Amino acid sequence: MRFNFRPQSHWRFKRFRYRTEVLRCASCGTVNVTPRPVCRRCRSRNLLREELPERGRLVAFTVVKSPTEEHKELAPYIVGLVEFEDGTRVVTQITDSDPEELRTGMTVERVVRKITHDGDSGIIVYGFKFRPLVS
Amino acid sequence: MRNVHVVGVGYTRIGEHWDESLTELMAEASLAAIEDAGVERVDGVYVASTFCEVTNNQAGISALIAEALGLRSVYGVRVEGGESSGMMALMEAYAAVASGLVDFALVVGGEKLSDLLPDEFNSVHSMTLPYDSMGFAGVTPASIAALLYRAYLERYEIPQEFIAQFPVLMHNNAEGISHAQFPFKVKLEDVLGSPEVAPPLRRLECFAPCDGAAAVIFASEDSQTKRSSGQTVRIGGISMKTDYVSPFDREDPLFMTSVALSVDEALLRSGISRGELDVLEVHDSYSIVAPLILESGGFSSRGESCPDLKMSKYALEGELPINTFGGLKARGHPLGATALYQVAEVYLQLTGRAGKRQIDGARAGAAISVSGFGTIAGTAVMLSGEGE
Amino acid sequence: MARIRNVAILGYGGYVPRLRIKATEIARIWGREEDALPVREKSVNELDEDAITMAVEAAKYAMRRAGIDPAEIGAVNVGSESHPYAVKPSGTVVAEALGIPPNFLAADLEFACKAGTESLQMISGLVSAGIIRAGLAIGADTAQGRPGDALEFTAAAGAAALVVGRPGNGEVASIEYARSYVTDTPDFWRRAHERYPSHTFRFTGEPAYFHHTLSAVKGLLEEAGLKVSDVDYFVFHQPNYKFPFAAAKVLQIPKEKVEQGVVTHLIGNTYAASSLMGLVRVLDAARPGQLIVLTSFGSGAGSDSFLIETKEGLPEKRAKAPLLDALIGRAKYVDYATYLRHRDKIRGA
Repeated sequence: MRFNFRPQSHWRFKRFRYRTEVLRCASCGTVNVTPRPVCRRCRSRNLLREELPERGRLVAFTVVKSPTEEHKELAPYIVGLVEFEDGTRVVTQITDSDPEELRTGMTVERVVRKITHDGDSGIIVYGFKFRPLVS
Repeated sequence: MRNVHVVGVGYTRIGEHWDESLTELMAEASLAAIEDAGVERVDGVYVASTFCEVTNNQAGISALIAEALGLRSVYGVRVEGGESSGMMALMEAYAAVASGLVDFALVVGGEKLSDLLPDEFNSVHSMTLPYDSMGFAGVTPASIAALLYRAYLERYEIPQEFIAQFPVLMHNNAEGISHAQFPFKVKLEDVLGSPEVAPPLRRLECFAPCDGAAAVIFASEDSQTKRSSGQTVRIGGISMKTDYVSPFDREDPLFMTSVALSVDEALLRSGISRGELDVLEVHDSYSIVAPLILESGGFSSRGESCPDLKMSKYALEGELPINTFGGLKARGHPLGATALYQVAEVYLQLTGRAGKRQIDGARAGAAISVSGFGTIAGTAVMLSGEGE
Repeated sequence: MARIRNVAILGYGGYVPRLRIKATEIARIWGREEDALPVREKSVNELDEDAITMAVEAAKYAMRRAGIDPAEIGAVNVGSESHPYAVKPSGTVVAEALGIPPNFLAADLEFACKAGTESLQMISGLVSAGIIRAGLAIGADTAQGRPGDALEFTAAAGAAALVVGRPGNGEVASIEYARSYVTDTPDFWRRAHERYPSHTFRFTGEPAYFHHTLSAVKGLLEEAGLKVSDVDYFVFHQPNYKFPFAAAKVLQIPKEKVEQGVVTHLIGNTYAASSLMGLVRVLDAARPGQLIVLTSFGSGAGSDSFLIETKEGLPEKRAKAPLLDALIGRAKYVDYATYLRHRDKIRGA
């Protein structure tokens, strides 16, 4: 809904949205995706900023045929579960592909794409998605 | 701590109530419950609504409900805990009555979703996911359900038909139920032939947006009510737990630790075992969620809930009937109201008022309410008066 | 404008979206003869792509090839005639997406199809003057063409980027000379708030494209004291398949020196990225020690021409990112209706 497009909240989360910058716990290694003061697993305050790797493995995917209001212009679009080498997993859009071109286990790479836009006058929300590796 | 009893229930039909507001629906359910309980007074009004700010532009809703019931100067609180808001309100009311703060508590849940367009509903429902890491990107609850569904089918090497039996059971149970959103049967091939929402998940494997309200009256054991002992049900135990908000941050996305822990704790507090339950309500928002709950809650072994279903374990005539009025799929899932419907239906079973769906001799039952895919889970164990 | 000193191309990258529409598909809708089409097919952006996202993709490849720490980037120039915002710089999003810390100069440029080489020109100046150590020069466009207009056959989507910095560390190439040629020539324009550009029919060729392009190239060669035969590759702006070869013919440049840098028949005119895209494809094939003349053309009108010499670092850097042909090769064809949806030409939907 409209209030999700507030420029302030997009701005606040841009490091994660543009570059998948997360907080890795220096004590136990757990990745905490969104900003927070302590690690979700061991409660250590020793959290270090880090970008998730640009490449991961597609574990599973589906096609969103019943989209939200703010993403309906893209529908149907693919949502996939991407796993990185250290076991960290994110759920994200998979772009530049049709479902029949995807297979589980394939390598995917991070790109920056338009996530949504607030009508013709509001901001354009950019953020990461993944796509099959171009090599 | 004082014992807490359910002394009355009330609810509206679930569906599209174009001519009634959220306040009217909740007031209607509340008045029915108050009348059913025959109580003279209510000291606390516990209102559960997941999205009343968004769907009805309404904050501070507890005062509106109290006023609509002709109550003034009562303690009124609104509780929100995603899809398990209703269970959370029950837990808060339970704590207040058990502690002596409140003698008679009205717990009412209501939701009005039919005003929303389908994509607006999806936007609103997606708020039950972590917005900043999932919702913003267009990840919907149905897409998460689909990813878990695929993982489940792969791990246990079963066909989709096994999972799709759950909605068939729900519709069987809802057939002819006057308060159900979809009071008719569906066939397995109807489920598997319905449009894809997020493959493999199909339309008839998903709950549908709806309006509805349900209410429960809690009274302390020493409060005087008109109810005979056979018409009251004791809350044996109630427990709620949170978990990591993304299922994929958990050790096993197919296991809901929040469900496991809340079931264990609620049973422990009740002093009964799983085997003593005669009836169970589970949160089947999507077909795949029912087996995950049954396995996480320890009612089926891992990977065994579908074979158990096939062997009729969970049917009305089975060992542990689930969702005897149709569950979220067929009775309906008006979010914040759902756990109130679950508890009201267990109450009907334990007081012999379940009509055509009556499980003979039901003396103990439980309701499991979940938000998202185990982000929050709550379990209420209920014991009939005669079982005491 | 003349000799450029101490400026090198450290990394380069081109990006082409995977969707294509065949010119015959556009011709089918508008009833055009199929034998006189300006290109074979053109690239079409995905629904989630715009000039900013494509600039990020091209720049990411360029930075990967350069092997540069984002903190070393002191300027980000994005040239485009389809900046997603009328006011709000594209370079800000591009830089943050690439992890470039805030102490950099951001400038968005617009000069029709010439804005990409302007970026290169300006970054080169900043590096040469010692103001920055390295910068990103980007051309990116999701070009507009009015439905049914001749330009609709060619207006395409793509981006190209160069990391430009000081030489001396295994660079891809050096930039030796630069020359520009600009006049007030109204061959093509888009007024504020208009969705589609207008153009002056056949004016486009003679007084616009050819006059400016040839003047810039001639000036550059003269300045550098070179003959056509001294140069290994000529890269031109390519609004269609014919123009670069026609320009080459006037200068008596053999076809073989032009072909490698022409991609317009496969992806259309990527506007601000067009000539840079040709350079990318040449760098994908060239050997160290070869000379390239890169010449843009932007309506309005003007040309920038550069003399570039490839260096020893090219083969190693080239291998670090996909070749342009790999991006061109992942073509997936769409029909005209899908194309309209992707270009946001169905309003009121």
